Amino acid sequence: MLLFSSFKGNDPKMTNLGYRNSDSFLYVSGIMENAFDNDFPTIFASGTPISVIYDLEIRQGNRIVAKNSFRHTVNYNPATGIYELRKDGRGDLFRSDSVQDIMRHLSSFDFGIPHQPSWAQVQIRIEARLPVVHFDTMNKEVDLMVLWKYKKPSARIHADLRTPE
Amino acid sequence: MKNRFGMRTQIIALFLIVSIGGLVILNNVFQAKQENIHSALKGMELSSQLRDIRHYSSEDSLQAEALMRDFNEAKAVVNIALSDSRVMTSVVLLLVIVLSTTVFIIVICRLSKPLRELKHATDQIRQGNFSVHLPETGLPEMRELKSSFNMMSRELEAIQTRLLVAEKEMIWKDLSRILAHEIKNPLTPIQLAIQRLEERLETNPEAIKEILPESVSIITQEIENLRLLAQDFSNYAKVNQPNTEEFNPALSIREIVKSYCQDYQIELDLAEDLKIRFDKTHFYQVLTNILQNAIDASESGKPIMIRLYGEKSYAVLCIKDQGIGIERKDLQRIFEPYFSKKSKGTGLGLALVKKLCDANGSIVRVKSEIDKGTEFTVIIEGV
Repeated sequence: MLLFSSFKGNDPKMTNLGYRNSDSFLYVSGIMENAFDNDFPTIFASGTPISVIYDLEIRQGNRIVAKNSFRHTVNYNPATGIYELRKDGRGDLFRSDSVQDIMRHLSSFDFGIPHQPSWAQVQIRIEARLPVVHFDTMNKEVDLMVLWKYKKPSARIHADLRTPE
Repeated sequence: MKNRFGMRTQIIALFLIVSIGGLVILNNVFQAKQENIHSALKGMELSSQLRDIRHYSSEDSLQAEALMRDFNEAKAVVNIALSDSRVMTSVVLLLVIVLSTTVFIIVICRLSKPLRELKHATDQIRQGNFSVHLPETGLPEMRELKSSFNMMSRELEAIQTRLLVAEKEMIWKDLSRILAHEIKNPLTPIQLAIQRLEERLETNPEAIKEILPESVSIITQEIENLRLLAQDFSNYAKVNQPNTEEFNPALSIREIVKSYCQDYQIELDLAEDLKIRFDKTHFYQVLTNILQNAIDASESGKPIMIRLYGEKSYAVLCIKDQGIGIERKDLQRIFEPYFSKKSKGTGLGLALVKKLCDANGSIVRVKSEIDKGTEFTVIIEGV
């Protein structure tokens, strides 16, 4: 909550962070709570592609063993009134005319990253952020992080990858 | 009731209430206005209406789509700009409050520092340290104030030095006068005795034996008087830190008085169960000096009464004679050094009593009636 401000914005929180591993891939999943409820419908409706970026980092001790970024992008077509959500990592694509539906899908993430055999006990850290978007018609660049009050939600989990789950 | 908060705290509190309160109210007004714009923006909707309009050509559709895209994009940009301004306003307000409060407190502290220095210096002056001087720095008014203060302290210091010199001179003059007087008294009989011996030696040396014992006795007696005089001065100058111990005053009084009882009439009324904390040597000196005074003032046949009793947590020692008494005007000066009404006396005995009582945390009082007698009371804290 911001002191001296009536601005509601969003207070995103990353929860239910989990992982599962196979021989070749490590999957990380989680849920974003209270991240898109306010102001996002108007922003999505602009028709400019809006992304949510997840930065995944895997550490073994103090050493970063893997690092990757995944994007979930919402695209709206004002002519048809259809929203399209493209999720990196799994390559999923959702289409809906309901912004609520899109926001529900957007609130969960599930990424796969190649699993190195040398990984044993690791720490998985994931952080979400919003990009700076350029609105072409207005020729204006805005930092969407204001919608999250410039706070990046993050979560971490310790994983033992020596035995496949 | 004394105010618990200083002027500085009150000024800071007033500043916080007035300026920060004002800023917060102003911010709330702006926030409310921005909230109104935000609500109005939410209600602006174009896409669904435009979609419902029948478009006769693909060109119409493309124009409608471009219009919708432009409108929605503008709405999004305004929405974000509005959100950004609301966040920034509150952050800037917080920074302004923190910064202005810090600057204000620093300024107030810098302003009040010279006043604190002045208060500290005044306290030192009050305690008698006139050598304190303040650095003449800061605001012009403060520099002027400090300069005046320094001038005052310098003048006080000069006056104190002059007073000390004058006091020392006066003490030395008094002391010299008393010493000269006290030494001259025994010297005269000594000189007379020696002259008599010289005369006899010149006129009739065989008969010198007749006056020799008496002359020697006079000389010995007067030398003893000089020795006692020296001892009195020495005792008065030598009073040092008391070495207090716990003892029964009744037992000590009996022991001290025993030697006087053979020659003088002394009546005792002593509470036996009291205990005091006092330097034993000092206690002896206090009692013997007061007792000697009482003996000197008393006529034979009139006993001296010594009474010891407990009063609350104190032991009270009263020594009462039935002598000639002391005049009211002299009572005020009786404990002053070198004050004496006796023909033979240094005036140090009772001054020593007062000094010893002070050193042991006790109180000595005197009351007297002409031709009825004098009573000294020593109040000592009990154990």
